[in-house]
Amino acid sequence: MLESHLTKESALQDVVKILEDMTMDWDMDFDDSIGLNTKLIYDLEFESIDVVQFIVAIEERYKRRDFPFEKLLMEDGRYVDEIKVEDAVNFLVQNIKGD
Amino acid sequence: MNPTLFIGLDGATFTILDPLIENGTMPFLKEFIAQGTKAELLSTSNPLTPPAWISLMTGRNPGNHGVFDFIWAEERNTDVYFTLYNFRDIQSETIWSIISRQNGTICSLNFPMMSPPPTISGYIVPGLVSWKHLRRNIYPSDIYSDLKALPGFDARILAWDFDLEKKASKGISPNDYEKWIEFHIKRERQWFEIVRYFMKNHSIDLMSILFDGPDKIMHMGWRFLDPKCFPETPSDWEQKIRNLCLKYFRELDGFLAEIAELAGSDARIFMASDHGFGPSWQVFRVNSWLHSQGYLQWKDLDSMDETEHKSAKRLVERHFVLLDWDKTTAYARTTTSNGIYIRVAKGLHKTGVPENEYESFRNQLIQKLLDIKDPSTNDPVVKRVLTKEEAYPGTHNDQAPDLTVVTQDHSFLSIINKTPIIYRRPEIEGTHYPQGIFMARGPGIQAGASLPQLSITDFAPCILYSLGLEIPEDFEGRLPPELFEPYFMKNNPCIIGDPTKQPESYALSDAKANVDAEEEKQIYKQLKALGYVE
Repeated sequence: MLESHLTKESALQDVVKILEDMTMDWDMDFDDSIGLNTKLIYDLEFESIDVVQFIVAIEERYKRRDFPFEKLLMEDGRYVDEIKVEDAVNFLVQNIKGD
Repeated sequence: MNPTLFIGLDGATFTILDPLIENGTMPFLKEFIAQGTKAELLSTSNPLTPPAWISLMTGRNPGNHGVFDFIWAEERNTDVYFTLYNFRDIQSETIWSIISRQNGTICSLNFPMMSPPPTISGYIVPGLVSWKHLRRNIYPSDIYSDLKALPGFDARILAWDFDLEKKASKGISPNDYEKWIEFHIKRERQWFEIVRYFMKNHSIDLMSILFDGPDKIMHMGWRFLDPKCFPETPSDWEQKIRNLCLKYFRELDGFLAEIAELAGSDARIFMASDHGFGPSWQVFRVNSWLHSQGYLQWKDLDSMDETEHKSAKRLVERHFVLLDWDKTTAYARTTTSNGIYIRVAKGLHKTGVPENEYESFRNQLIQKLLDIKDPSTNDPVVKRVLTKEEAYPGTHNDQAPDLTVVTQDHSFLSIINKTPIIYRRPEIEGTHYPQGIFMARGPGIQAGASLPQLSITDFAPCILYSLGLEIPEDFEGRLPPELFEPYFMKNNPCIIGDPTKQPESYALSDAKANVDAEEEKQIYKQLKALGYVE
């Protein structure tokens, strides 16, 4: 379904679903539930190629390829060291709002 | 539809296959060629895996399908950003889609750029995908549980494992070679088991499998495989490595024989490679040459602070992205594209070659490239330089390099800031040559025939014709009339039909510039492991 407006709850649901699906057979030490405070690099052991796949999965979910992901991945001109689920959720809410 | 089998052999060349057939390493292939038709298959202007396989799948050159490299790159402000091409970047319809919409069922195994997988009638297990993401990129995804249940299934062997690829790129000790070759034998067995599973359990009109080991074995082992390079009196180690390379091809031949048997005598079998292979003996450091000629200026590292300097120096050496754009008019972005981009002062680019001087600038650069001589032999280094229009005619060539450079030994261009500009390799390595292979066997196909060279875009028409489908009028390739027996062609005329459909897409935009530095490094690690970058 294409979204014209996204609530924080449904964005969280989408991101968690994508991440659970991505990581289900990765053999990670992380055994909590994925939630707003989950860290992609520290908790889910994301490598750079996993970030690429995460972006593709988001684009596929929303059928869009024009998300300004640099706003999620960069801060003050530098690439971030960590991405929290909440960052991704806020990013989606901001960028789907009012389309 | 007549059952049809498409076997891809990445990088396969008759230069190596013929001697292997001759010396008894590949008995099935010997029989196959005797019973069928063979020809050289001329690859895309830059004979590289993604553009070439996609030309095979679409019947169109990269200028129309829009994929020129592994890496999609674009100048942004003061940097060049990279990401990887994927299925959504293919601008022409693939045979998988053409067959699906005409009620055929396809199975596509291990082909590159097939992720995220499209919705088709059939099955897709993509190639060039990390094992961590294989399950999610299989179509339909529920088939993964069947594959996982196959004896010996191991996603880390079947798909890409960056750690293994990284390890392989590091050393060239005898141990590394041995493990690398054995790994690819295991990997081909995994793919073979998957082919067998689909052939036994599903009804499929076009079964397709790509074995990519030949490319990897020949990059590393050309000097052990090419009779012209292998020493008359080899050392024990050289003989051991040669024997292992032969073992790989012997095993591959066995898999091909079993697949053909499973397909049965009614099936037509087509084999093709995306490009050929040959010896590489020298390296042309094109960006260093462009710098020496005043076309390119590296960024001044001395004006940076220590930390910035350290990281920038590493980037310049590897990625060439830190250029002084105001003083650069021509540069190569990636080693794999074998291309030079000309910076035209237009739109956001305030500096560069004035638009009205582009043609004369380009012609002058071509001539200078053709005039380069190897200082040790005085031989020309560059064999040919193709303009964008010559190399990639079509409606999607805006991402193509302005110039495609073909060196005497077809080596990939080096883009690093290093001298000497021409470097002779201490040992011969394997590299991509344009002459790939085409082989076909089955009902109606000429036996024991050898055809003149075909184009890579001719492959897709052969597959559609074999299935009894019309050939889209906008295909660039054509069905070679001599491939089938005259009586067969008379009873089954080749019909040119409606054009292909534009692939489904959504909001294609400039959102590609979102690759972080770590991703970029990872991509380079992956390509380095394959020998495509330094």
